[in-house]
Amino acid sequence: MTLLQTPIAAEKRTDRDEGLLEKATERRNRRTYLALLLPGLLGLLVSFVFPLAYMIRMSFNKGAPDGVIVETFTLDTYIQPLTDPYYWRVTLDTFQMGVTVGILCVLVSYPVALFLARSTSKYRGLLIAIAIAPLLTSAVVRTYGWMVILGTNGLINSSLEGLGLIDTPLKLTNNMTGVTIGLVEIFMPYAILAMISGFGRLSPQLEEAAGSLGASKFKVFTRVTLPLSLPGLLTAFLLVFVLAISTFITPRLLGGGSVQVLATEIYDQTTGLLNWPFAAALSVILLVLFGLIIAVYQRLTKKIGG
Amino acid sequence: MSDVRIFKPRFNPAKPAFGLLVFLLYLFLLAPLLIVCVVSFASNQYLSFPPEGLTLKWYEMLPQESTFMEGMKVSLIVAVIVTLIVLALGVPAALALDRFDFKAKAAVQSFFLSPLLIPSIVLALGMVLLFGPLGLTNTYAGIIIGHVAITIPFVIRTTLMSLATTDTSCEAAARVLGADSWTVFRRVTLPIIQPGVIAGGVIAFIVSFDEAVISLFVAESGLPTLPVQVLRYVENSADAAVAALSVILILISLAVVVVVERVMGLRKALR
Amino acid sequence: MTEPKLSIVDLTKRYAAGLEPAVDRLNMEVEEGHLVALLGPSGCGKTTTLRMVAGLMDPTAGSIVVDGKEITHTPVNKRGMGMVFQSYALFPHMNVEQNVAFGLEMRQTPKSEQKARVAAALDMVQLGHLGKRQTKELSGGQQQRIALARALVVEPTLLLLDEPLSNLDAKLRETMRTEIRSIQQRTRATTLFVTHDQDEALDMADRIAVMNGGLIEQFGSPTDVYERPRTHFVANFIGQANFLTARVGAETGGASLAGESYYKVDVEGLGQFGAVGAAGLSGSTHEMVIRPHRLTVALRPGADQTPVAGTIERVSYTGDALAVAVRVGDQQLQAQLLTSSGDLPRTGDAAYLSWAPEDAYLLPATTSAERLAA
Ligand SMILES: Nc1ncnc2c1ncn2[C@@H]1O[C@H](COP(=O)(O)OP(=O)(O)OP(=O)(O)O)[C@@H](O)[C@H]1O
Ligand SMILES: [Mg+2]
Repeated sequence: MTLLQTPIAAEKRTDRDEGLLEKATERRNRRTYLALLLPGLLGLLVSFVFPLAYMIRMSFNKGAPDGVIVETFTLDTYIQPLTDPYYWRVTLDTFQMGVTVGILCVLVSYPVALFLARSTSKYRGLLIAIAIAPLLTSAVVRTYGWMVILGTNGLINSSLEGLGLIDTPLKLTNNMTGVTIGLVEIFMPYAILAMISGFGRLSPQLEEAAGSLGASKFKVFTRVTLPLSLPGLLTAFLLVFVLAISTFITPRLLGGGSVQVLATEIYDQTTGLLNWPFAAALSVILLVLFGLIIAVYQRLTKKIGG
Repeated sequence: MSDVRIFKPRFNPAKPAFGLLVFLLYLFLLAPLLIVCVVSFASNQYLSFPPEGLTLKWYEMLPQESTFMEGMKVSLIVAVIVTLIVLALGVPAALALDRFDFKAKAAVQSFFLSPLLIPSIVLALGMVLLFGPLGLTNTYAGIIIGHVAITIPFVIRTTLMSLATTDTSCEAAARVLGADSWTVFRRVTLPIIQPGVIAGGVIAFIVSFDEAVISLFVAESGLPTLPVQVLRYVENSADAAVAALSVILILISLAVVVVVERVMGLRKALR
Repeated sequence: MTEPKLSIVDLTKRYAAGLEPAVDRLNMEVEEGHLVALLGPSGCGKTTTLRMVAGLMDPTAGSIVVDGKEITHTPVNKRGMGMVFQSYALFPHMNVEQNVAFGLEMRQTPKSEQKARVAAALDMVQLGHLGKRQTKELSGGQQQRIALARALVVEPTLLLLDEPLSNLDAKLRETMRTEIRSIQQRTRATTLFVTHDQDEALDMADRIAVMNGGLIEQFGSPTDVYERPRTHFVANFIGQANFLTARVGAETGGASLAGESYYKVDVEGLGQFGAVGAAGLSGSTHEMVIRPHRLTVALRPGADQTPVAGTIERVSYTGDALAVAVRVGDQQLQAQLLTSSGDLPRTGDAAYLSWAPEDAYLLPATTSAERLAA
């Protein structure tokens, strides 16, 4: 017979040999991926980790007049914002703004997202792109657009006056109303994006099935559509909430100095008062608030995903 | 009763009503951008409605506005350099994350995406604090380093997405045919993941170009970028020159949107 | 004996410490110009073996020798192999010619020569007219041929094919089978061919390595592995088989053409029969293999041999052939016969089975189960 070889008789090799070979290839692999990762890691270290770490350290220093920083290790910078009613007010306002903007944004985004999720039109892709494209335009420009619409001589006031509906212009800018309207629009693309992704299980067939079983349009919506889209709505709300409590440009421009939230407060503490440690402490507080919400958000998405 | 309904599809008023609602919400979403375009062509000296006439004077004024031109120059230089840097840092990192297995992989990936989870005002403060003593405030280097943090996640994400959908056996085939690692990357991997790289690159460009908060903190006084100039201008004056400028910025964004949509789809790239 | 083109010595791959090895001390020698099929069920280590030979993966232990030179640690791009992947792995951003020329480019072959060789390779796979096409504009079979041309144009030391036909539909698979085989014979490229399809292996290969759980169960010619399986696994995996447990009695004298001995064997419950097997099996118990179509089924007891009487339990009619399951004692034996216009056996009929001693083959002592336990 022409049997060449079968491995029956091969004796057991020592584990040492195998171990050595394995190590050699592992080392070569490790060199390659470390070399690929290293530039990026260094880049983030310099531009991301160091600034944050330095800021956290700074929050334990003491600020002196004229921007002088006293190197020390104190909790004073935290005690002031946590005891001063003014900062409680600012923090609460920030929180409230986040909730309001989050709810309104979800309300106005839901119909659009529902429409996009269900659409079978050949323009669906284009419509989705249009809905999220504003994400890539400047926040400054979009806020400016809202100033033009809401301002004293803006579109809305001019129109209403022209129609004779009001005599004195409505006050829509330099207050929380304007900021809220602007933020709702600015975060709409985020909310829509989060919702479409969250609506994975929602299919027109499901609604049709419910309809064919005799459910009324309203029943179909409350019993099928809404429960299935709830996870998407929730993630959208949390996303908009965290974005809203940390945003700076819009409260600054549309608030015109009379809306104080944590972000604008941080800016004022630095450029106006030069109290760097205090600004750093406010940032850390914002960061903690932010981290808590993100943790909740991730737990929820994990639960929904799993 | 109900069988009658089945055989006679009636006009359902809910449908056009919903359509109208969606249309109005789209209008709301696009309102600030549309209004800026309208205002930029209006001849009213100061911001007011309705437009008194059509004019191109605001656009003609732009080249004479030295602050805008300076800002445009700074922003373009920054955005181009930032794009090149994050591509050079991000594409290899994404490659390592997709093509190799190592213990801390998930953690490293989250780390690369984490700058998006940090409020930019907080990052901006950290940067000005750190860069001040190092003499980096009001320098190109300062702004560029600042922007690297917030643009890297986009490049990593889009590149990873492209890598995930490619067949690694193409690379194996090239290696068997005699190509060394660098050649495989240049001749096979890079061309295949090109859509993700381009999408990441142009998104990084526009994010850097439009970024206002970090630039404001790091270089407001010495090297203001275009968004910082616009911010200042909007705070202080009410004429429509800035509307014309805004239209230019919108057009640049639009170009980016078109490129991203064409190469990999906007929704996929921004998810 | 001339030096083998490829020898694999104790080749082992363990993906991670603590895991069972995916390939376990594999030994194999391949003659120049041969096509060797690596055949086995999913997950048995075929791809792993092929990738180690290609150099795409480092072995944990063992060595690979080509033309007398050890290449175990030669980098993949220095091995000069040609490989065809299951997904073809054509470069999507290059047209057909650029794909085929890639390997020549890497070898810095002069442009004019490249052109000529690419054209020749495309002609060989009968796609000379498609040189300027983009690869995604090709059908599966055409992509397959381009991949083959790309691998062959560099005149590889070894041609490695990983399930190249599994993405094609049944009809095309048969055409490509013959085509690959004829191209391989024309170019005399020594070839390793991974497949889990036994027909493919039997049809195309000069030698078949039947793999199971990281081990080679048998390495031999197609007739070897079919007619003279070494293990239960091989007999069962290639073709269909009836297994009977036989107590081997005395040699009855004489030897078959292949040099095997004839034995008298005793199958419990069925009686005494003649069988063939390797020398020296007398006195122990062995598994006896009989292929279904080598069983003769008669509806009436015959006179010539000692038939085994049973009852037909199931009949399955497929036009050309008839598969019959016959209950004999506590066993069910599968038989196969060609249909004729005469009477068809029916369920419940009595049947009388007989076979020639040459068709009852005694497996050598070791069964795969015993070997794995060892
Ligand atoms: N990267 C890996 N890490 C860990 N185990 C692996 C890896 N690749 C393969 N294996 C394991 O090694 C064994 C052999 O895999 P291999 O791919 O060689 O099988 P195969 O014979 O080619 O199977 P198939 O016919 O399904 O392609 C399998 O048990 C598989 O699970
Ligand atoms: Mg395989």
